Amino acid sequence: MANINWRTINIDAYDPDSAFNFDLTTLTPAVQPVSTSDVQTLSGQIRQLVRGGNAEGALQGALENAPYGADEQGKSIHLSVVTEVLGQIRQAEMTPILQRLYQADGGSELCDTLMKYIYKGMGQGAPGSGAASKNITPQATGFSQAGGRNFGGEGGGQSMSVFLSWHEKLVEMVGPGSIVRVMSDRRTV
Amino acid sequence: MSAPEVHHLFHAPIPDHSFSADRSTLAVCRDTEVELHARRSPTAFAHSSTLRGHDKTITGVDIAPHSGRIVTCSQDRNAYVWEPSPSAPDTWKPTLVLLRINRAATCVRWSPNETKFAVGSGARILATCYFEEENDWWVSKHLKKPLRSTVTSLAWHPNSVLLAAGSTDGHARVFSSFVKGIDERPEASVWGERLPFNTVCGEYLNPTAGWVHDVAFSPSGDALAFCAHDASLTVVYPAGPEQPPRAVINVSTQLLPFRSLLWTAETEVVAAGYDCGVYRFQGDGEGWGLVGAVEKEGGGKAGAAEGEGQSALNMFRSMDLKGRSGGSVDDTRLKTVHQNTVNTVRVYEESGGKVSKVSTSGVDGRVVVWTL
Repeated sequence: MANINWRTINIDAYDPDSAFNFDLTTLTPAVQPVSTSDVQTLSGQIRQLVRGGNAEGALQGALENAPYGADEQGKSIHLSVVTEVLGQIRQAEMTPILQRLYQADGGSELCDTLMKYIYKGMGQGAPGSGAASKNITPQATGFSQAGGRNFGGEGGGQSMSVFLSWHEKLVEMVGPGSIVRVMSDRRTV
Repeated sequence: MSAPEVHHLFHAPIPDHSFSADRSTLAVCRDTEVELHARRSPTAFAHSSTLRGHDKTITGVDIAPHSGRIVTCSQDRNAYVWEPSPSAPDTWKPTLVLLRINRAATCVRWSPNETKFAVGSGARILATCYFEEENDWWVSKHLKKPLRSTVTSLAWHPNSVLLAAGSTDGHARVFSSFVKGIDERPEASVWGERLPFNTVCGEYLNPTAGWVHDVAFSPSGDALAFCAHDASLTVVYPAGPEQPPRAVINVSTQLLPFRSLLWTAETEVVAAGYDCGVYRFQGDGEGWGLVGAVEKEGGGKAGAAEGEGQSALNMFRSMDLKGRSGGSVDDTRLKTVHQNTVNTVRVYEESGGKVSKVSTSGVDGRVVVWTL
C-alpha cells in the first residue's frame, strides 16, 4: 500500500461521466482525412503554379486546400509550400492580393487559414535549429532554400521577416477577430 | 440617438446585472454579495441594500419582472431565491436551493412565466428548478445529456419550456425542460411537437468549435442566435423537428469575440464583449451582417475635455513627465464608454415587441443604458 503514490492516480479514469472517458473528437468539426501522398501531389501542383508566375493563384489554391485532416508530416509539407509561396510574393503586391482574396466568396475563411499558416510558420523557428530539425522532410530543404536565398545560412530570419510583413498587412485587413479565430479553431494546420 | 446613461458603480467587475420591471431597482453582482441600487433621480442610482449569503463569487443574478423575486447563483454551487419581506422594506428573505451540482454555477435565468429558473454549471449540468408546494422547497431537475463541458450561458424560449444552452464544447443546444404538473403542454413549434423532459431539439456547432459565450432566442422563439469565442455570430433557423435547419448563418467579424447578445427585434441582434463596445447586427433567413457600433465615435469622451487646453507648455510637460509626445491628450482611456470587457447585455425597455433600450455591465464596474 505504501508504495502507491495516490497523487498520481488518474481519478477521472474511474468516473464513467468524466470527459476522460469520452472521445472528444466527436465534438470537433469533422475533417476529411488526407494522406501524405495527396498533400505531396498538391504541393507539386502549387509549386508548378508558382514557377508559372501565378503566385496569387498558388496562394489561393494552397489556402483553399489546407489539409486539416493530414498527419503531422503532411501538415508540415503543406506549411513549407505556403511559406515558399509567401516568400515569392513581393511586398508591394501583398495588400492588393489580400484585398482580392478577402473580397472573394468565403474570403474571410481563406484569410483565417493564411493567419494560421503565418503563426505556425513563426512558431517553427529557424530551419536547422533544434526546434525545426525534428521534422525535416525532403520539402524542408525547399523551405530553407526559398528563405535563405539572400543570407545563406540565416534563412530563419529571412522567412520570419516575410511572415511579419504578411502578418501586418493581414491584420490591417481582417482585424483582431481573425487572430482570435486562429486561437479558438480546432481545425489546426 | 441620445447619449448613453452611464452609472459607474464601483471599481470591481460586474459579472451580471438585472433591472426590476419598473427599472427603479438595479441588482449587480459584486464579489460574494449582490448589491441593490435604487434609482434616486433620472441619472443616479444609490446603494440601498445588500444580499449576503453566498460565500464565493456570484456569477448570476436575475429579477423576475412580475413577482419581484431575485434568484442568484454562485461558484459556491448554490442558488438562492430572495423574496421581499412584506413587513420591513429593503429586507429580503433568502431560500436556499439545492442544485445538487459539484462544480460552480455559472449563470441563472427565470423562465418567462416565472415558475421555473435554470442554472448552468461547470458540472456539465443544466439544473432546472421549480417550486414544490407540498414540500415547500425548490426542486432541481438535471439536464445532462449530451452536454460535454461547462455551460456558459442559457436562454429561455418564450413558451417557458424550451431552454437553450451554450457550452465550452463549442455547441449551442436546445432542450426541453418540460416538468409535469408545472408546465402546460406547449404548442407545437419549429422545435418540435412532443417535448418530454430532456428532449434535445437542436444541437449546433460553430465552424471553429470555439467556446459559446451566449445564446438567445428571437422574440418569436423561431430562431436561435449564439456568439462564440471565434468572434462570430451564428443564427439558426430550424425547419422543423428531426430535420436539418432551414438556414445556419455565420457572420465572422473583425472584432474581438462577443460575450453577450440580445435580440432587439425579429431581424436585429445587439452584441457586446471583449471589444468594449455594443454592436448591431441585422438580417433574416437569407443572410446576416454587422451594421456597426451603437455608440458614436468618441463616445467615451476620450481626451475631449482635456484636449482643449493644448499648448506648447502642456506638450513639453507631458513629454517630460509622461514621456509621450502626443500633447495633453489622454491616451490611456479607450474610445468606448465601457473601459473594459462587457459581460452582460440586457433588455432595459421594450414596447410592442421591439426593444428600445438595452443595458450593459462590464468588468470596469459600469452599468450603461443605451438608447437604440
